[in-house]
Amino acid sequence: MAPSQSESDRARLAAVAKGDQKAFSQLYDRLSGPLYSLALRMLGDAAEAPDALQDVFLQIWRRASAYDPAQSSVFSWAVLMTRSRVIDRLRARGRRSRVVVYQPGECNIHEAISPDASTEESAADTVGKNDEAARVRSILNQLPSDQREAIELAFFSDLTHHEIAQRLNQPLGTIKARIRRGLLRLKERIAV
Amino acid sequence: MIPEELQDQAALYALGALDPAETAVFEKALSDDASLRTLVRELRDASAALTHSVPLEIPPPELKRRILSSIALEKQEGSVAVSRKTSGIPVWLPWAIAALLLIFCGVLAVDRLTLRRELTDIVAADALAKMTIVTLTSPTPGHESSKVAVAWQPDQQSGMITVSGMEPAGPGRDYQLWAVDANHPDPINAGIIHIDPNGTARVRFRPDQKAMQIKAFAISLEREGGVPKREGPIVMIGNA
Repeated sequence: MAPSQSESDRARLAAVAKGDQKAFSQLYDRLSGPLYSLALRMLGDAAEAPDALQDVFLQIWRRASAYDPAQSSVFSWAVLMTRSRVIDRLRARGRRSRVVVYQPGECNIHEAISPDASTEESAADTVGKNDEAARVRSILNQLPSDQREAIELAFFSDLTHHEIAQRLNQPLGTIKARIRRGLLRLKERIAV
Repeated sequence: MIPEELQDQAALYALGALDPAETAVFEKALSDDASLRTLVRELRDASAALTHSVPLEIPPPELKRRILSSIALEKQEGSVAVSRKTSGIPVWLPWAIAALLLIFCGVLAVDRLTLRRELTDIVAADALAKMTIVTLTSPTPGHESSKVAVAWQPDQQSGMITVSGMEPAGPGRDYQLWAVDANHPDPINAGIIHIDPNGTARVRFRPDQKAMQIKAFAISLEREGGVPKREGPIVMIGNA
């Protein structure tokens, strides 16, 4: 039986921790697209996003041995690292992230993938990624809009829940409940 | 079952939406609770999936080459540094330095503890020095066996009254504490003192108005529920 994506990621990261550059290259091919998209979305700046991504992958190279599978998947670990590096940059810039709330149907994911992309990613990987992206979007679209809005604000910006409550002009308790319910629902549906 | 409030915190933590102080408190709870750690891991994975909701963009092709060159260089520098380290330096030297540092850290830790203890003593002594203790006695016959003491902290504007051997006020009556302050023409109400059936009371009080120059504390016998301005007879009084 073929290993799951998550198991493959762990195996690659374990190899990276031992200094395996080929495993690092494979991990880059697998993660760079989503992480770059995230950095771009949070920074809103195509000139800065590559530098942020470089910081992230150098950190992955240096800290691979510190990864703890009990705390998160490799993908979540890399996403956390990306958010952290991007937030550092946003703070250094002295301004908050420009938050763009995703509108369903605003982008065709097939068009978003450059046909001449020079990564070594396989076609099967790309198809798999697109399937996963479509599934997550579909799950997100099924969430009540107020829950989705609160979660997206928390995830794509450098805002605390107090600031989110202020921005959405809602009581703090309401925001906490929306985020909890939305994220728990997301967890249940993604796990299926 | 994880309480809802902790689930709220877990969701916010997974999204990085807690402020630094809340994060520190939550991480303490996290270190003590395995089921909470599992929930955080699952919520973290769920929140990371939000990344897939962003339209996929491909990084510039030269970026991968740049990163691979950087790590190759780092690896090379790392091996050079290791070979340099292992060539001329005695093997025991790093261990000796580490041991010395460890001893030094131990000395610093003991020193820090001592200083902290001294600081605590100074703070406690300072609080005591600022505290005023007043003993109240009965100006008229009838309450000679009562023992009443007030500990007053002007900087906190609060105090503690301790009563023993005092008869309860009786039906429709209450004892009321007053602070006599040089800056106020009338005594300041400091609250009702309920005496239990054993004749004792221990009440923390805070006068209605700021009292910076207290001359005396007094207890009067008033109507049940107390009065804004003293009406009844003074049963206990003591100068500050």
